[in-house]
Amino acid sequence: MTEDIILKLEGITKIFPGVRALDRVHFELRRGEVHALMGENGAGKSTFIKVITGVHAAEEGKMYLDGREVHFRGPGDARDAGIAAVYQHPTSYPELSVTENIFIGHQLSRGGIIQWDEMNKRAEELLAGLHAGFRVTEEMGALSVAQQQMVEIAKALSMNARIIILDEPTAALSRTESEELYHIVDQLRESGISVIFISHRMEDMYRLANRVTVFRDSRYIGTYEVDKIPESDLIKAMVGREITDMYPKPEVKPGKELLRLEKLSRTGYFEDVSLHVRAGEIVGLTGLVGAGRTEVMEAACGITRADSGRVYLEGRELTIRRPADAMKAGLILLPEDRQKQGLILSWGLGRNVTLPIRRELAKGGVFNDEKKEREIAKKHLEEVDTKAVSIFDPVSFLSGGNQQKVVVAKALAQKNMKVIVMDEPTKGVDVGAKAEIYMIMGELAGRGYGILMISSEMPETLGMCDRIYVMCKGRVTGCLSRGEVTQEEILSLAMEKSAGWKEERG
Amino acid sequence: MNKKSFWKKITDSRDASLVLVLIVLLAVIEILSPSFLSFNNVRQIFLNNALTLLMALGMLCVMLTGGIDISITSILAFAGMTVGLLQKYDVLHNTLLLFVIGAAIGLCCGMLNGIVIAKGKVAPIICTMGFMYIWRGMAYVISNNAWASGKDVSGFSDFGKDGAAGPYLILLAAYILFFIVMRWTRFGRRFYAVGSNKEAARISGINVARTIAAAYAVMGLLAGISGALSVSIYASAQPNMQYGKEMDVIAACVIGGISMNGGRGSVAGTFLGAMIIAIIAKALPLVGIDAITQNLVKGIIILAVVSLNVFTQRAINRQNLGRREI
Amino acid sequence: MAGKSGRAISAAPKDGLRSRILSWEGALVLIFLAVQIFGVSISPNYNFTNVLREMPKYLAEIFMLFGMACILILGDIDISVGSIVCLSATMACFAGNAGAPFPVVVLVCLGIGLLCGMVNGFLAIKLQELPTMIITLGTQIIFRGIAEVTLKSGGSVSMEDVAGLMQMGKKLGPFPLSLFFVVLTAVIFSVLLNRTVFGRELYAVGANKTAAYYAGIEVQKDRFICYSLLGGLAGVCGIFLLASLYGANTTTGSGFEMEVIAMCVFGGIATTGGKGNLTGAFIAAFVIVCIRIALGQRNINTQLILVIIGAMLIISVLLPTISNGLRAKKQKR
Repeated sequence: MTEDIILKLEGITKIFPGVRALDRVHFELRRGEVHALMGENGAGKSTFIKVITGVHAAEEGKMYLDGREVHFRGPGDARDAGIAAVYQHPTSYPELSVTENIFIGHQLSRGGIIQWDEMNKRAEELLAGLHAGFRVTEEMGALSVAQQQMVEIAKALSMNARIIILDEPTAALSRTESEELYHIVDQLRESGISVIFISHRMEDMYRLANRVTVFRDSRYIGTYEVDKIPESDLIKAMVGREITDMYPKPEVKPGKELLRLEKLSRTGYFEDVSLHVRAGEIVGLTGLVGAGRTEVMEAACGITRADSGRVYLEGRELTIRRPADAMKAGLILLPEDRQKQGLILSWGLGRNVTLPIRRELAKGGVFNDEKKEREIAKKHLEEVDTKAVSIFDPVSFLSGGNQQKVVVAKALAQKNMKVIVMDEPTKGVDVGAKAEIYMIMGELAGRGYGILMISSEMPETLGMCDRIYVMCKGRVTGCLSRGEVTQEEILSLAMEKSAGWKEERG
Repeated sequence: MNKKSFWKKITDSRDASLVLVLIVLLAVIEILSPSFLSFNNVRQIFLNNALTLLMALGMLCVMLTGGIDISITSILAFAGMTVGLLQKYDVLHNTLLLFVIGAAIGLCCGMLNGIVIAKGKVAPIICTMGFMYIWRGMAYVISNNAWASGKDVSGFSDFGKDGAAGPYLILLAAYILFFIVMRWTRFGRRFYAVGSNKEAARISGINVARTIAAAYAVMGLLAGISGALSVSIYASAQPNMQYGKEMDVIAACVIGGISMNGGRGSVAGTFLGAMIIAIIAKALPLVGIDAITQNLVKGIIILAVVSLNVFTQRAINRQNLGRREI
Repeated sequence: MAGKSGRAISAAPKDGLRSRILSWEGALVLIFLAVQIFGVSISPNYNFTNVLREMPKYLAEIFMLFGMACILILGDIDISVGSIVCLSATMACFAGNAGAPFPVVVLVCLGIGLLCGMVNGFLAIKLQELPTMIITLGTQIIFRGIAEVTLKSGGSVSMEDVAGLMQMGKKLGPFPLSLFFVVLTAVIFSVLLNRTVFGRELYAVGANKTAAYYAGIEVQKDRFICYSLLGGLAGVCGIFLLASLYGANTTTGSGFEMEVIAMCVFGGIATTGGKGNLTGAFIAAFVIVCIRIALGQRNINTQLILVIIGAMLIISVLLPTISNGLRAKKQKR
């Protein structure tokens, strides 16, 4: 079979300090095909894309474009070669107009004077081709994420890109918006453009892709024709191990109810969310990105304020105005973004651990008790088995997994902790550390704490949780119990439109 | 999607709303004091605020990149003092050449700012604070505590004296040039791109460090020209000239809608911002308010304008949230 | 915990002496000594007694150093303090001239300062979206504007003799009284920043505001307190300024804000927040004061001090970048 290969990568290896992000991976893209790139979080997909677009230089390996070997020294080279990437969070200029966003860096000009009329017209044409419903004079920052992605695609087209890379484009889109994007990708394929499509959604892949390449743990696993491989085989290729090995879920008999949210609402984010967590229980909260999971728990923990609804802890209603109120009551949040929300990276481990309990430890509530702080930090950091030499090491020196452990130690140091809310606890954490974090979760449940885990990753949700709440568009659409759930059930609830469901007891 | 809210329309065209403010302001003043818009008065307003108007253009570039420059009046003093002394000691009396020298000194000072900020990765306020001291000090040192008096600069001051066309021509040329450059050239648009999103600008192939350095160089150039102009207009050069007036320039830019976070602002807005301050200062005594209150009024206007921005933005955000499809 | 490796993590504090000597504060001490040698070598009158005698006129603004350090550590900035000094000193003069006894004059000065600081703080927490530079630019103009309006067209006011004000210009042995107050304030703020929960919170907010908020710190409350403290200290500065000037005018305190910020930055406090300490800023302040005194005695163009301060400031902030560049070069080789 004579294949028309436009892009080929061979034996690409990329090493970051301490991590082998890509290990001799292969990839092949045909002209005019939509090629899905799949794998779990941390499998190396994003790094791979950055190698193709010239943002990262690979340590080893060769790249061929149209059969000729190429070396990209920077993003400019890749762009000139006709490769463009559209990221999940568009890298745009929010203050500038749509036209300018499309043409920045390659404005149409005559005699040094920018031709705005011509550019506006070209931009209108490009956007009309994508069936966009907004004007080119609008400010980028005023558009929705889906619209901004359209602008990014138009930008790629304006540079005559032959290869367009879409990095999780549907992650932040609603169903109708995703449908629009599918149409656009179909159109691109018809016009002879090759598309690399990264997504976690099986649905995206089946709807769009001709072939799929799977990465796992920084390695190349295989490339398959989409209509020839059964879904179960594909999942096995992606996960590569029996799920039961990974999740040390202890059998705990749920105790009394600890946390209960009743009809919590916040305009524009979530509505009428009710859920409960019992002692010793690990409860999952899942749904698509943007469904409002994080927002619900942030409101419950005082980071933001809900417009209405009640929060009960051990049957008593809490008045939570600020994070400290929730912490005092024993409701601890481990935020999603460790580096921005969870830790002070420039500080040592110890200081990070004792930051929330600084007042309780202080002499007379005023003067820091450094000695006691050191002891407590050491105790809890060792308890979660952090790989570090000294409690004075800056947190920024640690790997993602160990940083997460510091965040857990920070929660453990709070003696009155009753319920611990973990928001994407294994995001950006390597496989080994993941297992350790699951182990810690199991152990905490065994000690009688209530755990609520927000997660986008299906396997860990299925593997670790006693009950799973599913959210869709700001509402809870279902609560499923361990053992009787399937991936499909969760997905259909996560994508469901209406939410006429009441929480079941027991 | 095409239906825009009232708030959005106002904020979308900040320049339009500033024009509106200016018209209302002028109308009120004109009613209270019918002679306000006389040719002579308008001429005076421009002359008295020529330096602020000119330097605000440079501050526009700097603030577009997300920076700030508080060394400008020191650069102005250093350049102006040099120009004054060259005449005092009869080295040079050619008006054009003196302006070129002032501009060149300003450009060099500005480039130093730019290099330290862009290459040395120093916070703009700290770097320009350091140079604020250095250039002001240099102005004192070269002057040796002496002045260049009206007699010394007599020929040069013909260019900028009350009634001469010089300052107006410089202002007109600068505003036309900047209006074109900031809107219709890649050079101008780079400031917007860098201020809006540095990382994206880098990926788009824009040399971010060079763009930032260029902004301070332009600022310095204009401050240098302002130095020479100041000597010409006020017919004297002393080391403490225009001390503290950098805040007026920044205030004009802020009122003109230039965002301190970068990426947002226009030449028209800069002009209108400077004019609003200038007109209020001039009009206060005419409408029966003691001129001594003008700083107080100016401060209140600055805070009122920036708070209004914040509250408008909050209202928009709330509205968008209410309509949002979760 | 299960699966535990039994690995021990050290909790012993690292040896502090070596790192302390090699720190920026160590360098500042050397610079301070170098300035003494410089002073002695250029001026025959540069000695202990003379330096102490000339010191009081430079001391007043150092009070604000401590508040400004807190603000900068938070990652904020306040450029209105010079105007607060002007306003509080002006009001104190009027109070004194109206016959108020000395303690009342002091209270007026402190109270006005504190009030102005609270206004700054209130605006800073209510308009969180704005850079504090803009807010305090507005209040800078307003506070001085109020002083201007109160002073009327004359633009200045003299303090008629108030019993007590004279006392403040007095000496305790060879030391001016104000030096004791400065040192006392320094000790209080040093303890506050380094030893208390509040100080820890300020560093946390400056290093990562979001993480600090998530850890239960009331970020906005802390910001309000710091602005108020700085305002109060500007009031203190106003009192001591009155004790040496016996009056106020529309330019009183102008430029103080930049001088104080310069001392802090020269002392190693980053304007990005979370870094630096009071010791460095305190030494830096006295380095600058001593250079001033030395240059003043030789009657060298005193404005040369501006060039020196500026150059020291730029070099000190460029040092990290330069040393990183050198280190990178070394590694390449």
